[in-house]
Amino acid sequence: MPDRPGSVQPARHQAPLPLDRLILTDRPDAEAVPMDVLFVGGGPAGLAGAIELARLVKADREAGGDLGDVQIGVLEKAGALGEHSLSGAVVNPVAIRALFPELTDKDFPFRAPVGAERVYFLTGSRALRIPTPPTMQNHGNHIASICEIVRWLGEKAEALGVNIFTGFPAASLLTEGKRVTGVRTTPAGLGRNGEPAGGYTPPTDITAQITVLAEGTRGTLSQAYLEWQKISSPNPQIFALGVKEIWETLKPLDAIVHTLGWPVPRDAFGGSFMYPLSANQIAVGLVVGLDYKRTTDDVHEMLQRMKLHPLFKNLLDSGEMVEWGAKTIPEGGYYALPKRRHGDGVMIVGDAAGYVEVASLKGIHYAMQSGMFAARAAFDALKRKDTSAQSLKEYDAMVDASFIARDLYRRRNMRLAFQESNFYVAGIKAGLMTVTAGALPGDMIHSHRDAEVPRELAEFEPFVPDGKLTFSKLDAVFKSGNATRDDIPSHLIVGPDITPEVAELYSHMCPAGVYERDGERLVVSPANCIDCKATDVLGPRWTPREGGSGPKYRLM
Amino acid sequence: MKIAVCVKRVPDMDVRFRIGSDNTSVDETGLKFDINDFDAWAVEAALQLRDKNAGSEVTAISLGPDVVQETIRKALSMGADKGIQLKTDKIPFDSLTIARTLAEELKPGGYDLILFGKISPDSSNGVVGPMTAELLGVPCVTAISSLEIANGKGSAKRELEGAQEFVEFSLPAVLTVDEGLNTARYPSLKGIMAAKKKPLEVKPVQLSDPQVRVRKLELPPDRKAGRIIGEGAAAVPELVKLLQTEAKVL
Amino acid sequence: MANVFAFVESRGADVRKVGLEAVTAARQLADKSGGGEVHALVIGGQGIAAKASSLGQYGADVIIVVENDALSNYSPEVATATAVARIKSGGYRAAIFSTTAQGRDLAPRVAARLGVSVVTDALSVDVEGDLLVVRHPMNIGKVIATLEISGSPAVIAMRPNVVSPTQNPKAGRVESAQPAIDPASVRVKVTETRQGAGGKLDLAEAPVVVAGGRGLKAKENFKLVEDLASAFGNAAVGATRAVTDDGWRPHSDQIGQTGRLVSPELYVAVGISGAVQHLAGMRTSKTIVAVNKDKDAPIFKVADYGIVGDVFEVIPALTDAVREAKKHH
Repeated sequence: MPDRPGSVQPARHQAPLPLDRLILTDRPDAEAVPMDVLFVGGGPAGLAGAIELARLVKADREAGGDLGDVQIGVLEKAGALGEHSLSGAVVNPVAIRALFPELTDKDFPFRAPVGAERVYFLTGSRALRIPTPPTMQNHGNHIASICEIVRWLGEKAEALGVNIFTGFPAASLLTEGKRVTGVRTTPAGLGRNGEPAGGYTPPTDITAQITVLAEGTRGTLSQAYLEWQKISSPNPQIFALGVKEIWETLKPLDAIVHTLGWPVPRDAFGGSFMYPLSANQIAVGLVVGLDYKRTTDDVHEMLQRMKLHPLFKNLLDSGEMVEWGAKTIPEGGYYALPKRRHGDGVMIVGDAAGYVEVASLKGIHYAMQSGMFAARAAFDALKRKDTSAQSLKEYDAMVDASFIARDLYRRRNMRLAFQESNFYVAGIKAGLMTVTAGALPGDMIHSHRDAEVPRELAEFEPFVPDGKLTFSKLDAVFKSGNATRDDIPSHLIVGPDITPEVAELYSHMCPAGVYERDGERLVVSPANCIDCKATDVLGPRWTPREGGSGPKYRLM
Repeated sequence: MKIAVCVKRVPDMDVRFRIGSDNTSVDETGLKFDINDFDAWAVEAALQLRDKNAGSEVTAISLGPDVVQETIRKALSMGADKGIQLKTDKIPFDSLTIARTLAEELKPGGYDLILFGKISPDSSNGVVGPMTAELLGVPCVTAISSLEIANGKGSAKRELEGAQEFVEFSLPAVLTVDEGLNTARYPSLKGIMAAKKKPLEVKPVQLSDPQVRVRKLELPPDRKAGRIIGEGAAAVPELVKLLQTEAKVL
Repeated sequence: MANVFAFVESRGADVRKVGLEAVTAARQLADKSGGGEVHALVIGGQGIAAKASSLGQYGADVIIVVENDALSNYSPEVATATAVARIKSGGYRAAIFSTTAQGRDLAPRVAARLGVSVVTDALSVDVEGDLLVVRHPMNIGKVIATLEISGSPAVIAMRPNVVSPTQNPKAGRVESAQPAIDPASVRVKVTETRQGAGGKLDLAEAPVVVAGGRGLKAKENFKLVEDLASAFGNAAVGATRAVTDDGWRPHSDQIGQTGRLVSPELYVAVGISGAVQHLAGMRTSKTIVAVNKDKDAPIFKVADYGIVGDVFEVIPALTDAVREAKKHH
């Protein structure tokens, strides 16, 4: 079906999830590596889960328990832990404290406690200070780099004997009946046409009694599992795209800063953040909902324009941008949570499950806590020698009874209000919701998948970056440390009927310059991809590729 | 065949370095470390020889604090059979100190072949292999880009500036490995699991007093603004003159 | 006052330019430490003695010549034994070598036998009392170290091209000498040397990189870049993203994208406008030359020497001039 004249509906051009590749019914390879519990993804959720489980097993062994040797594995697609992790980040320390009760806040890999905070409403040239909304108050929270948190958690996990396999993306779920029995990794060393080339390493099967999907935002195997098992949610999951830069500056920033308004279009949901990481390091980023309304809306470019505003320019002008990255954020909240996040031999945790609370822009502590709940459920299931869905449903019960579900429920309609109204109306509704603890404006607001939102074809003024304060997408990708081999097979599945207008949409949607419109044609440069997953939300499908591909974030 | 491979833990070079507060070391905050690429090719060469010669054994040796165990484990996960950490507080710059300590460990080891990477990018001195060879009194071939071992003899190719050299040597020998000898394998998942169970011996060692000390480290100055020296082919003689006399690169 | 030893590299029966640099560096060092003598050792095939006598012009007081047809190619074991024997007998403050494939092989062997350490790739050498102070690039040139050498003699290999051969005539008394060991007794035998067959230099390590961009207009025109690289003799060929994307060159030649950084002594940008990611990949090069017909191309902002002009006219002329200049070394 063609697009309505004057607009593009991304969903019409999107390939379906390749379930036949993602859900395998083959028997595991005879050479399979056996694990008892396998965490797919070495971010805060997977690592916190692995640490918690290793401790429970250790305590059981010391108490004379009968569990025996339990092999815990963490598979991570990045070449090293943290290299694919990106967040703001202002962290609520509640989960890390629970994970390490013997440590104090000063032991944690935080940069500093949040001091002063300011919120501004921006116009093109002015910044109007507004009172900090209650949802955005961060007293007691800590400024941090998620890369540093993840590296630190990795050390703790290794010290507890967890097997951490970096550079091994999980390509498919191994299944038997409805049960998940493990995963198959991607091969490495393929040539451009998928043929084995120098350094070829075949896929490896890893079997596990329990597989915990901790893939992060828009997890491919998590989506595949939910679709395969027809597990729905009241609303579809929706996403925002965050683009972030780390700057080394001569001038210090004395507060955490959030902004609303310009340069985000009035019909889009979004805002910026700017956090001091140290006296001469600043994180600055912009987050915009992927239900934006025009083919030419471009989050990377908005961030570049935003830095020309005096509020940012004055600080950054004398500095240097040292790292750049982007990532999607699941913003659907409570009503977008899958009805169950467990099944036979499987649980879904963290961002992959959608545990993000958008009003406060937080997900790390939910991710860690959900990983820890999954660990407890896994431990109990191993003790019972029953890893069925019936046994693992304890995990959902723990989440639902915890602050995770409580926080998400309280802000259940806030983000959704923006999809059905414009910024100002939604702002009023959000205010009401805050006052009434989420009860208003009433019942569940229904939302659409981001890809179903039509995009108007629009004119735009090309932005010319100066290479000092503002950067092209290619320069940006360079600063992500992306060192993907240029000659691996494309991991992106381009859908049907790609018109020049669709190519235009993709070229603006992707912050990493993977897509370019060359006249009538879509040009794809898969090696540029930094795994933010925006493409999987609105454009060509993302699938796991050779391990170690993608960005190499150090400070994000 | 008994093969030793000396491996070094080095930071990823694809970053902007900062100088530590002591002014004599690089600030390691946020740096990513891995086995030196040249050393990984040396490990690969050792593994290929081992697999062709039944009953062979590959030992990976690294000198430094406990963090170098990571580097040894990397070699073990690629397939080396055992590891030795020569434990010191830090990795000194002085190459003689390092070579002496390695030679002391290697001498009684009965190795047929001792492999090094030809240079490590961090200290960029590239001398520990041949120094160790001299201290052991065994033949040495540096910067090899091909290698054959048969009947107790070896042959190798070296890339020199503007020439290739083909050499033959007797065993035992020390070889340093250049790029192009092979492509290092990725550790497999099974290899990583197996490496955890392989022996890694930790031997505290006393370093001799260094003869070379780092007084200070600095970052090189920023580039000065560019200049255009002329137009068209007519500017070529001036360019060549500047390359010879000012830039001194020709 | 202290004497300084210099090892002069030869190729066949010719003294290499780095050999003149070693003598010059040794001379400067001897002068800085109060005016000692410079003793230069040259090993080579028949005819080397005649060439070596000119080293007096660059400041050698004594020229020790080992002339032997079996030694027209570098023999590590003979060179090591001969240099060690001479250095041990001479009471030198320092021994100067060159940081070439040969020097990287020889200097550490000599140092180990003497029981001293060695610093290669020296950018400068100074005398401070009992210490020699050497600047040495680390971390692929991203950090510069100042090192103190306390051992004696200090064995130092100079980076090529940091000292230019300088006239400073001294006696240049030629002493002919024998190799310290029989060239036939070596344990590592060179079975073949293929001149001019130097393998493909790696981009990251080549002292010279010649890179081409879209200004070359077509794949076959990349020959201009290859010809210029071969005129330098020690150059690797690089390319921009645009060029590799168009399939003119393999992706392994690409500079700037996917994190590949190069910092050669000399970077020649041919028809490259200078996208920022390309600049990021090569801006740490020591000297940058750019040839481009657009005078506003960003590459000129970082080029030490820019020529505005048609690459099809400028590059062949430059290739000829470089070939001519190289002939004299």
